Amino acid sequence: MPFTLPAAASLFKPGQSGTIERFTNEHLAGKLLDIGVRPGSRLRVVRKSPFGGSWYVKIDRQCLALRKKELACIMVK
Amino acid sequence: MHHGQIKATPVVGLVGNPNSGKSSLFNILTGLRQRIGNFPGVTVEKKAGMLRLPGLPTVELIDFPGAYSCYPTSLDERLVVQELTNPAGDLFPDAIVYVADITKLDKHLLLFTQLRDLDLPMILVLNMADLMESDGLTVDIPRLSKELGVPVLPVSSRDHRGITELKAAITDLLRAPDAFRPRQPFYEPGASARDVLGELRRELPARNDYHALLLTHHAPWLKHIPERTRHKVQTARVRHGFHSLRAQVEETMDRYNSFEPIVKSTVRHAGDTNSYSDRIDNIVTHPIFGPIIFVVLMLLLFQALFAWASVPMDLIELTFGTLGETIRTTLSEGWFTDMLVDGIIAGLGGVLVFVPQIAILFFFIAILEEVGYLARAAYMFDSLMQRFGLNGRSVVALISGHACAIPAIMSTRTIANWKERLLTILVTPLTSCSARIPVYVILISFAVPQVTYLDGLIGLQGLAFAGLYFLGIASAMLSALAFKLLLHTPDRSFLMLELPDYRTPVWRNVTTTVWQKSKTFVLEAGKIILLISIVLWAASTYGPARDMAAAEAQVEETAVAQELTEAEAADLLASERLEASYAGHLGKFIEPVIRPLGYDWKIGIALLTSFAAREVFVGTMATIYSVGSSDDEFRIRERMAEERNPVTGEPTYNRATAWSLLIFYVFAMMCMSTLAVTKRETNSWKWPAIQFTFMTVIAYVGAMVVYQLLA
Repeated sequence: MPFTLPAAASLFKPGQSGTIERFTNEHLAGKLLDIGVRPGSRLRVVRKSPFGGSWYVKIDRQCLALRKKELACIMVK
Repeated sequence: MHHGQIKATPVVGLVGNPNSGKSSLFNILTGLRQRIGNFPGVTVEKKAGMLRLPGLPTVELIDFPGAYSCYPTSLDERLVVQELTNPAGDLFPDAIVYVADITKLDKHLLLFTQLRDLDLPMILVLNMADLMESDGLTVDIPRLSKELGVPVLPVSSRDHRGITELKAAITDLLRAPDAFRPRQPFYEPGASARDVLGELRRELPARNDYHALLLTHHAPWLKHIPERTRHKVQTARVRHGFHSLRAQVEETMDRYNSFEPIVKSTVRHAGDTNSYSDRIDNIVTHPIFGPIIFVVLMLLLFQALFAWASVPMDLIELTFGTLGETIRTTLSEGWFTDMLVDGIIAGLGGVLVFVPQIAILFFFIAILEEVGYLARAAYMFDSLMQRFGLNGRSVVALISGHACAIPAIMSTRTIANWKERLLTILVTPLTSCSARIPVYVILISFAVPQVTYLDGLIGLQGLAFAGLYFLGIASAMLSALAFKLLLHTPDRSFLMLELPDYRTPVWRNVTTTVWQKSKTFVLEAGKIILLISIVLWAASTYGPARDMAAAEAQVEETAVAQELTEAEAADLLASERLEASYAGHLGKFIEPVIRPLGYDWKIGIALLTSFAAREVFVGTMATIYSVGSSDDEFRIRERMAEERNPVTGEPTYNRATAWSLLIFYVFAMMCMSTLAVTKRETNSWKWPAIQFTFMTVIAYVGAMVVYQLLA
C-alpha cells in the first residue's frame, strides 16, 4: 500500500507540491484558514525570495507569500 | 436597529476581504463626495460617502477596512469586528453590501457566512464580473442566491455593469430589511462552546447565539463590553475550559465545509486562469532580476518625481510670491499686512509647494498598488526587512518617505504587527524627503568642489548628493535595528501576503487616491505649518522694544554714513531687526550649544526656524543675510560665500561647517507636521517625543564629529 508520511512544507524545494493535511501551530492555523489555506488544498512551492526567508507559494489557484515559520507549520503529503 | 421605520440617515456598510475590489466599488458609488477620517478612538482610516437613492433619505455608505474573518489579526480587521458586533454603536450598519471577488468565491465567502450568522440584512456582490467572459468563468447566479439566501449581483468596477441593479437592490434592502434576513444559520456553535454560551448567553448584549459566541471570543478587547461583563466572560471561559483558538479553527473548518459544496455546484472555472500572471512573476519576482527591476523602477520614479514636479512647484512659488507682493503694495503698511504676507501667505505657499510631489508620488504608488506590484515588492524584501525588525510592507513607507514622510507614515496601517509598524513610523523620517533638497543644493556647493570626471558625466557634487540619500536610508535601517533590540512586544508577526493577479489599473481609483492624499496633506499638515509660520513670523518681527529701536537707529546712521541706496538700507534694516528680535536673542542664547558644530548665532536662527519645517532654512538665510524677500538660491549662495567670521576673517561657510550642516539636516527631526502625524498614528505623545529626541541626538553628535574632524 503506497503511504507517504506528511512533511512540513518548509522542507519542500521549489517546484515540489502536495496536499495539505493539517497544521501544527494553532496561532498560525487560525490566520492561514482565514486567508483560505486549509486541509485538502493543493500546495506548490514556486520559488524562494531574493534574500531568502520567504517563499512564493501557490495554494489551489491563489498565489501567496509565506515566511519559513508559516510554511513550517503546514504538514503536506 | 433595522426594525420598523427607516432611520433619518440609514447606514450601509461595504464589507469584504482585502483585494476584493471593495474600494473601487466605493469610489464608483460615491464619486469624490467622500469623507476620510478616523474611526472613533483608533487610527484606522474611515471612508464614508453619501449615496442618493430614489425614495430614500440620503444613505451613508461606509467603506469598512478589508477583513478575512471575524477573528482579526490587524488593527483594521479588529475595527470591523468591533463595529459589527455593537448594535448600539453609531456605525452599526442597517444593511451590508458584501463584496467578493468572483474568481475567489471559495475563499471570500468565509466572512460572508459569519456576518450572515450575525443576523445582518445583506446583499452579496460578485465583483470583477468582467472576468466572466475573458476567463471562461461561469456562475449560476440564481442558484447561488437561493443556496445562500441573499440577493446575488454580478458587478464590475471596470465596465460599470450591474451598478444600477446594485443601487436598486440596496433600496429594496433598506425598505424591507426583514425580507433579507436568514432563515437558518450556516454554523451552530459546537460542543466545546455550548457550555460557556449556556452560562453567558443572558449576560451578554447579544442578538443571537453566534453574536454571543463572538463576544465570548473577543470580550477582552472589545470596547463596548463593560469591564464587569468582561470579567464574567473571563471566569466563564476558564471554568468551562473554552479554548478560543481551537474553537476558531473548528468553526472555520465547519464553515468551509458548509459553503464549499455551494461554490462547487455553482461556479465553473475553465482551465488555469493565472498563467498570464505566473509568466510575469517568473521575471518580476525572480530571485536575481526581481530586485534589479525594483531598483530600476524606483530610479525611474524619482527621476519622474523631480522632473515633473519642478515646473508646477516653480509656478506655485511664483504665484504666492506675486500674491504677497501685490498685497504688500495694495494694502497699507502695518503689522497686519506683514503678518498676512510673511506669515500666512508665505506659510500657505510653503504647504502647497509640496503638493505636486505628493500627488506625483501617490500617482505612481497607486498605479503600482493597482497593478499588484507592491505586494510583490513586500514579498521580495520581507526577509531583508525582518532582519532590521521591519516588515516587507515597510518597503512602501521607506520609498514614499523620500518624497514626504507624512503620507509614508500614513501608509504603514497595513502592517499588522504593532512593533514592526511602530519601527517603520519611527525611522521613515530619516529617509531624505524632498524638503531637504533645497538645503542640500545650497550647502553642497560649499562642501564639495565643482569637479567632474569622464567629460562631466560624473560630478563630485552629484556623488555627494547621492551619498546623502544613501546615508539617510542606511541610518533608517540601522535605527530600526537598534529599536528592534530595545523594544519587546509579545505580538506575533505575519507575512501571509496575498499576491493578487496582475491587472491593468482602474484609473478612477488612481485619481481618487491622488486627490484624497493631497487633500489630507494640505488639511492636516497645512494647519500646523501655517500656525508655526505665523509664530515664526512674530518671533522674528518683534523683539524687546529697546533693542529694536537701537537697531533701527544704527541702520539709519550707517545708511547715511555709507550712502546706501533705499533698497540696500531696507535689506540692512531687515537683517539688523532680525538680530534684535526674539528669534535673534534665541539664536544668540543657543550659540554656545551649537558652537562645537561650527555654527554661529545666525545659523542658529536658521536651525531653530527649520524645526518647523526644513525648507524654511532657505527663506531664513535670505532674511538673515538681508537678500531681502527674494528666494533666489544663487543670490543667497553668493551672499553666503562672502560671509566672514568677524574674528578670524575666514569664510563662515567653509568645508567643515557646510558638511556639519549637511549631516545635521540628514538626521535631525525638523518637521512639525511629521511629528503631528506620528502622534496621530501612534495615539500618544511618547513616540513623537522619542522620535524627535533620537533623531536630533544623532544629528547633533554626527554634525559635531564631522566638524571636529574636518575643521
